[in-house]
Amino acid sequence: MKNSNLIAVIFSSFFKSGLKTARTRVFILLSLVPVLLMVIVRLIDASGAPDFFSHIMLSLYFQLLIPVLALFFGTTIVNEELDNKTLVYLTTCPVPRRSIILGKYLAAFMLLLTIVASGFLLSFMAAAANRLGQLAAWEELGIFLGTSMLALFCYSALFTLAGTFMKKSILIGLFFVFGWESVVQYFPGVTQKFTIIHWIKSLLPVGASQGGFLIFQLQPSPALESILVLLAAGALFLFLAVFIFERKEYILSDNA
Amino acid sequence: MSIVLKAEKLSKWYGNILGISDINLEIKPGITGLLGPNGAGKSTFLKLAAGQLKPKLGSLQIFGENVFGNHRLFQRIGFCPEYDSAYMDMSGWQFIMLLAHLHGYAPCAAEAMSEKALTEVGLVESKDRLIKGYSFGMRQRLRLASSILHEPEMLMLDEPLRGIDPLWRIKIIQLIKEYEKQGRTVIVSSHILPEIEAMTNEIVLIHQGKIFAKGDIQRIRGLIDSHPHQVSILCPDPRRLAARLIGNEYVLSIEFTTQGRGLTVKTNQRDHFFKALMHLIAEDRLTVEEITSPDDNLQAVFDYLIGK
Repeated sequence: MKNSNLIAVIFSSFFKSGLKTARTRVFILLSLVPVLLMVIVRLIDASGAPDFFSHIMLSLYFQLLIPVLALFFGTTIVNEELDNKTLVYLTTCPVPRRSIILGKYLAAFMLLLTIVASGFLLSFMAAAANRLGQLAAWEELGIFLGTSMLALFCYSALFTLAGTFMKKSILIGLFFVFGWESVVQYFPGVTQKFTIIHWIKSLLPVGASQGGFLIFQLQPSPALESILVLLAAGALFLFLAVFIFERKEYILSDNA
Repeated sequence: MSIVLKAEKLSKWYGNILGISDINLEIKPGITGLLGPNGAGKSTFLKLAAGQLKPKLGSLQIFGENVFGNHRLFQRIGFCPEYDSAYMDMSGWQFIMLLAHLHGYAPCAAEAMSEKALTEVGLVESKDRLIKGYSFGMRQRLRLASSILHEPEMLMLDEPLRGIDPLWRIKIIQLIKEYEKQGRTVIVSSHILPEIEAMTNEIVLIHQGKIFAKGDIQRIRGLIDSHPHQVSILCPDPRRLAARLIGNEYVLSIEFTTQGRGLTVKTNQRDHFFKALMHLIAEDRLTVEEITSPDDNLQAVFDYLIGK
């Protein structure tokens, strides 16, 4: 059987079972919080809704929900198999380990995209109910959706990598999201380029106005460079995750 | 007969904890029982053989190939792990079908193989239930189904009868024997001697990470049978029973319990002693409330064999 077919089998199975898990349901509900806020703003002040939409996208989705979702789904790709001692069923099938991790990564990515994109669409409908005929509104949505795909690709690859070699990868990931990413993005010069969020914000129509309460502000990079950096970083993280997963011995039980 | 599994100077440890040490072993087609107390190293050996662990020293080959990282070999190997684990949010059918697809079967063949495997372990009726709704024994049978699904040439079963009800124990033992008749290789581990005895004569005794003895079970049985064995008997008139037992050639000593309602007999011929005891009870119409054997476990036997 071809590797691509094996990846498809694993993807399909884990995508379907992933839709039914309690974790997915909780995150679907969480992703609806911005939608609810959007509806409330729309009802209070319809003229301010489009601006609020942009800001809610950045602050709630790109800076909070996407990294947190990617953290919880990415790290569990391997860690959940270890905690539940189910990895043995996959690794005793005639399947290359790279197909296992890539299939599971794709399933997690598609689950995340489904959750985020549905939240985006609902928020957009609430914000731009009277602008649906305008091309600019759809362009803005397209930019947000495209950027969210890149963000999910990169963050979930990073956290998949963390899950392949760290037992407490969620704790480290939380420190990364709320420590490193939240603070270093406001550092001056090239330092902020060591965060993923810098490249994401560089693609968004909002962002330059962020960080007003700090001395330093976002210094956006060119869009093409940002896309390439996010794609390259995601691919590198994924390559390293596969490299480690293929070689590492995972001990599922303490019983000798 | 060709050698299916070959381990040479195989060692594995986890940090400071020894798993197995310097194991040299050759296994040929047929059923081989891995016998040893809990923590002896049976599961470590099977995990190494199933490619779940990397050897620290030495080598382990199956069908002439190294196992770790050699995914193609799993077309020919089936492994039933010891853990009570499964994808709880899947149904039994989804789980088995996933594995069937991963073994490369086309949809129709995957369905047929899955149906067959679930039938053999008696789970067809409950195949559409979520695994989290299964009992421990059902999950154990599902794991067994996952290991026989692709009809492997070599089957490795780690404590396969744990948690299984008596009826299914018999059926699973028959299933394993059927594999042997087809010329396949089965390695089955257990810490319960009668379980292994019911399946095979060929056993490997593992103790403290080393192979302690290997060969025909009758030889081991002989050692075990001559092991001084304690039998506790609870009865209303222990003095009368003791008087009848004292002359028996298989009895080494008799002690009365402190409560005065029983006695402990030491024998060096357990099976003969039990025959004589049953005969005596029937002949003299003695009332016996309970017979227990505190030494009737593998750890006691191993302690005896290694001279503790």
